[in-house]
Amino acid sequence: MKFRSYFIKRVLTWALTIWIGVTFIFFIPRMFPSDPVQNMIAQITARSGSMDPAQREALESQLRVQFGLEGSLMQQYGSFLWNGLLHFNFGPSLMSYPTPVNDIIGRNLPYTVCLSLFSTVLAWTIGNLIGLLAGFRKNKRSSKILEGIAICIYPVPYFIVALIFQIVFAFILGWFPLTTTLPASGDAAAFWAALLRASILPAVTMLLVGTGWWIISMKSLAGTTAEEDFVRYARYRGLSEGKIGRSYVFHNSILTQITALAMSLGGVFGGSIMTEIIFGYPGVGSLVQKAILSTDYNMILGCITISIVAVSTATLIVDLIYPFIDPRIRYS
Amino acid sequence: MAKFKKFWKNANFRLKAGLIITTIFFIIGFVIYFFPHEDPFAFNTYPNKLGASAEHPLGTTNMGQDVMWLLVEAIHNSLTIGLIVALIGTVVGVFVGLLAGFAGGALDRVLMLITDTFVVIPSLPILILMTSLMKGSSTVILMALVLAMFAWAWPSRQIRSMALTIKERDFIHTARFSGEGTVQIVVTEILPFALSWSLSNFMNAVLSAIGSESSLAVLGLSPGSLVSLGNMIQWAREKNAIFTQQWLWIGSPIVATVVLFIGLFLLITGYNDYQSMKRGR
Amino acid sequence: MRKKVIALLLAVVMLVSVFAACGGETNSSTGGDSSASTPESSTGGESSESTPESSEVSTGDGEMTEVGTPRSETLIVEFQSATDCPGQFNTYCNGTSAGIGIHQLMSAMMWEMDTVKGEQFPEVAADMGTPNDDFTEWTVKIREGIKWSDGEDLNAEDVAYTMNMIKDTDSIGASSYYKQVFKSIEAVDATTVKIVTNEPFPRLTQRFGVTIWGNDLRIVPEHIYSQQADVYTFKDEQPVVAGPYTVHSYDPNGTWVLYQRREDWEQSTLGVVNKEVYGVTDAPPAWVWMRTLGDDESTKQMAMINNEIDVLCEVTPEVLEAMMAQNDKVRAWYTDFPYATSDDPCSKGLSFSQGKGAPYNDPNFRWGMTLMLDFDQISMNVFEGIGRASCIPILTATTAMTEMYYQPMKEWLTNFELDLGDGTKFKPFDPEYKNRMAETLRAQGRDIPTDEAALEDMFGIGWWKHDEEAATKLLAKAGVTKEGDTWMFNGEPFKFNVSYYSSGEFQAARSAQAAYNQWKALGFDCTLVSESSATWSTNLGTGAYDIAGEWPTGGITKDIYSQISAYDNALIKPMGETGSGQGMRWDNEEASKIIQDLAKISPDSDEAYQMGMDFLKIAIEDCTMITFHSGVKFVPTNDSHWTGYPCSDDPYNGPWWWWSCFKYILPHLKAVG
Repeated sequence: MKFRSYFIKRVLTWALTIWIGVTFIFFIPRMFPSDPVQNMIAQITARSGSMDPAQREALESQLRVQFGLEGSLMQQYGSFLWNGLLHFNFGPSLMSYPTPVNDIIGRNLPYTVCLSLFSTVLAWTIGNLIGLLAGFRKNKRSSKILEGIAICIYPVPYFIVALIFQIVFAFILGWFPLTTTLPASGDAAAFWAALLRASILPAVTMLLVGTGWWIISMKSLAGTTAEEDFVRYARYRGLSEGKIGRSYVFHNSILTQITALAMSLGGVFGGSIMTEIIFGYPGVGSLVQKAILSTDYNMILGCITISIVAVSTATLIVDLIYPFIDPRIRYS
Repeated sequence: MAKFKKFWKNANFRLKAGLIITTIFFIIGFVIYFFPHEDPFAFNTYPNKLGASAEHPLGTTNMGQDVMWLLVEAIHNSLTIGLIVALIGTVVGVFVGLLAGFAGGALDRVLMLITDTFVVIPSLPILILMTSLMKGSSTVILMALVLAMFAWAWPSRQIRSMALTIKERDFIHTARFSGEGTVQIVVTEILPFALSWSLSNFMNAVLSAIGSESSLAVLGLSPGSLVSLGNMIQWAREKNAIFTQQWLWIGSPIVATVVLFIGLFLLITGYNDYQSMKRGR
Repeated sequence: MRKKVIALLLAVVMLVSVFAACGGETNSSTGGDSSASTPESSTGGESSESTPESSEVSTGDGEMTEVGTPRSETLIVEFQSATDCPGQFNTYCNGTSAGIGIHQLMSAMMWEMDTVKGEQFPEVAADMGTPNDDFTEWTVKIREGIKWSDGEDLNAEDVAYTMNMIKDTDSIGASSYYKQVFKSIEAVDATTVKIVTNEPFPRLTQRFGVTIWGNDLRIVPEHIYSQQADVYTFKDEQPVVAGPYTVHSYDPNGTWVLYQRREDWEQSTLGVVNKEVYGVTDAPPAWVWMRTLGDDESTKQMAMINNEIDVLCEVTPEVLEAMMAQNDKVRAWYTDFPYATSDDPCSKGLSFSQGKGAPYNDPNFRWGMTLMLDFDQISMNVFEGIGRASCIPILTATTAMTEMYYQPMKEWLTNFELDLGDGTKFKPFDPEYKNRMAETLRAQGRDIPTDEAALEDMFGIGWWKHDEEAATKLLAKAGVTKEGDTWMFNGEPFKFNVSYYSSGEFQAARSAQAAYNQWKALGFDCTLVSESSATWSTNLGTGAYDIAGEWPTGGITKDIYSQISAYDNALIKPMGETGSGQGMRWDNEEASKIIQDLAKISPDSDEAYQMGMDFLKIAIEDCTMITFHSGVKFVPTNDSHWTGYPCSDDPYNGPWWWWSCFKYILPHLKAVG
């Protein structure tokens, strides 16, 4: 009974959060002096040189109709809620009109999800292990060294790390390709081999930079937990350090970290922008950036809505299974 | 003074090192910065592409700017941005968190809904959106306000859950029974708890603000004449300083960022250790 | 305890399943794409005969490209950004970008451009068209002998069909314009097209043929397009083309396209026209791999240094310098200083938002701000002194334009006077710029020629003087005065913004930054504003700026009508609205009159040339905008696999890889070894 009311409340919050989030995203770009039609024309003239004034005028009115921007703001918002949010149909991309936003995102999303999810989860795992050791065995030399390395890499801006790796391993040593070039021939093995080879540098750099934060936060969590009364009590009871680490400190710290992981999934979108730019890796990050810079409303909404829904859902799931993991938490 | 001496004696290595590094940065950013010097952004002040010398310890840029003074101004601006963002983020976060935690009911739910929304919205794309749509005019304040938009949500969530646990503790009940008002309880009993956490959060927020500004700068979205650590890296990169091997120019803002981070990090962890040691006695 | 372990296990399983799900997704989607793009499945017979594997046998060293072609037969060329519509080669969809090789290698244009002479020549057409007396009826002859890549003849029917298709398909971007211009287009016989326009239309070839970059009219095969239900949504994945190359394969993510030379390329536009116009019969490279390396400058230079790409579009001088230092096969237009060609027809400068009223709409203000600037320093700050001064507003000082307009106007420029308002006159033209620059650069150890003509070619015929005294008087005339340390206008401190575009166009951005710096140093209270592409074009259109670093489109034909037509004041929209005219809202009655008259006159007439000259004089007197240098382009080429690129020693064409005339460069390229 209690679970049911908690469940309903939590799902309601989930739905409301998403709704507020996408509403925010819908209105912000429209409040600024930025016009997709002007940007499209600028793009065309930048490519094709001069355009006769008469031709320009004709094109402008035509695009305005095609882009579906004539209705009132509220009508556009209503149609976005209905088509976009409820049916996940975001309409045509304005800059690649009439290709649907869904096609373009669908092509790019698997790369982002795999690369970022892989490196995020791996960074989380490694970081937490090291952090746990560092926090629990505070005075061990090995843990100090690992932690030291982590805090030295963590503050270096990501693009610098990426650039250094690219210069050293792709340019000087030539072990990896400079950019991601995937063969188009039907040979699946060649395709996967090329993809794998091209993914290593992006994955390693994201991993390196990502790990630092988890080490730092896990260490401080573990450090605090290790001082709590029940750990002291366990020590008095004479339990082995290993056992205390595994079953007390680890357990109690990891719960917080699981929530943090769920929430950091949103960073999967943002975090991959620089990776994609430097390594020429396909993905959603640069798609969002390009869409913003060309005011492709539909594409912006499409990408960010997906991100918001994914992150809220991940936190929802974590919140729902949380009490199963940690009996101290009640559905309240 | 005596108090400080005692503190210094008891402080651990990390706290000392962190304190020294951070102080140096603050001196650079808020004392040396005010020494009279040429506007570091102005082009052609000096001959360009000079190497290190007594007059220009870090050389000059392709545009004839002095790298050292550019760095000083960058540290000043980046620290200012970081401090403003951290201040807004922490104050708003603590306020919202406490309010939600103590008021409970409908207010709590509404506040947490908004907070959760801001936690869930991907920040970098929105920052890109905001900065690319706002005219990139050069105010430090404007940049800080945009970055602060996402800096308060996480703290307020944390403070709220902290408030919820504290609320249930015995001494609050005691205080309540002894007739203290809610505001008084919050100020005297709960704020100290929140403050100690906020301090760590504050320093973290400073760092993440500086980091976000750098990312935006590299994407070309930081205001055009704002001399910040991120913009300095970006300008050097634009002029291909890496491949033309102008190491001082590209390297100094990177090294400064890293050292500043390490300093603040040591300060946070050292301070936490110091606190727990004090509690342990 | 046990329960917790199970829960954790569950969490892990969930993560793993997410992995698996996304892995599966990638598999199916990319698999589908790649199988769709194998050429054998859908092209006609000729392309499957020589797959990369079979031609590998013929090569000596056997180095292969990442797309499986022999490196020694593959020219690798950069295009600027990935397409979001991979596999879409129908340029009549909005999303298709022609610059990924489509118009360079496959499209058939009515009239092409000789970029060296600045003259058009017929490509699909056989002549430049014959108009009737009032330019309302044109008879255009179509070439014989050009074949589509499936063996069909290209004839007048195809041309008439294409133009009618654009006119009648409402969703195609140019449709309403075509409706406005054309009454009818019909094929009289296999080699003749008759075009009737609604109004007198003397500039048919300029408007529907290439002047710069390319043109939107690309002839399509009637026998393919007429079979489509909707030509606007037809992707045309394996296009049948009249150009010398066909699509072999492409990246499902849109970062590259591999083009293969047609077996029968001699029957393509290149094969037929190149022989006739240039007298060249050599074959172009067997493969052209067009790819993008993304937006990151460092990746581009590393790829170039490692010989992974033969031609890059455009880089900064700093990037070129680094590449040349590390790879001696890399060069640009000149092997030595100034490296870059100054012949790009877009000059960079600053425009004033004149719709804002005083002081921006006052020519005295604009002239005053111009004379405040020290152009020598601006040149040094932009590209370290490289670049040809382009002092006449709107008209870019390309080599051809210098000959046609700048040199003939030199005397007028020298005698041109400004009224300073205190009874004195001032001659602002400064022909000494080139000599000062030569000296400054020589002092830096650069090898600068001493010959007057060479200097003029390098630095232009001159710019405007740097004279603060004259400038102050002119500003005072416009009501801007310096009181104490503050510049005042209308009794209030005078403040303005200098905006620049921060997502590329570095020449324009650096120019604006340099000018900002100088004004700031002179005590003006100005702010530097960087704008991203999200707001840039809208703000320029609505006039929401003060002074902005702009690059108005120029041209290379003698007739300047198409460059100046947008400056007609009848097109000016109220502030806050965007329109087809200029966003700077330069409102000059006399100049507009010239534009309107020019529209009715044959572009080849002497009268048109004179009127163009008159227009430019008005623009100078009014200081329509400040223009600094002509388009300075550092376009690097790499000699390690191919030689024979156009360059200063052999300027048979311009280094315009992204223009449609690229196909005429290709036969000149020779494989090394």
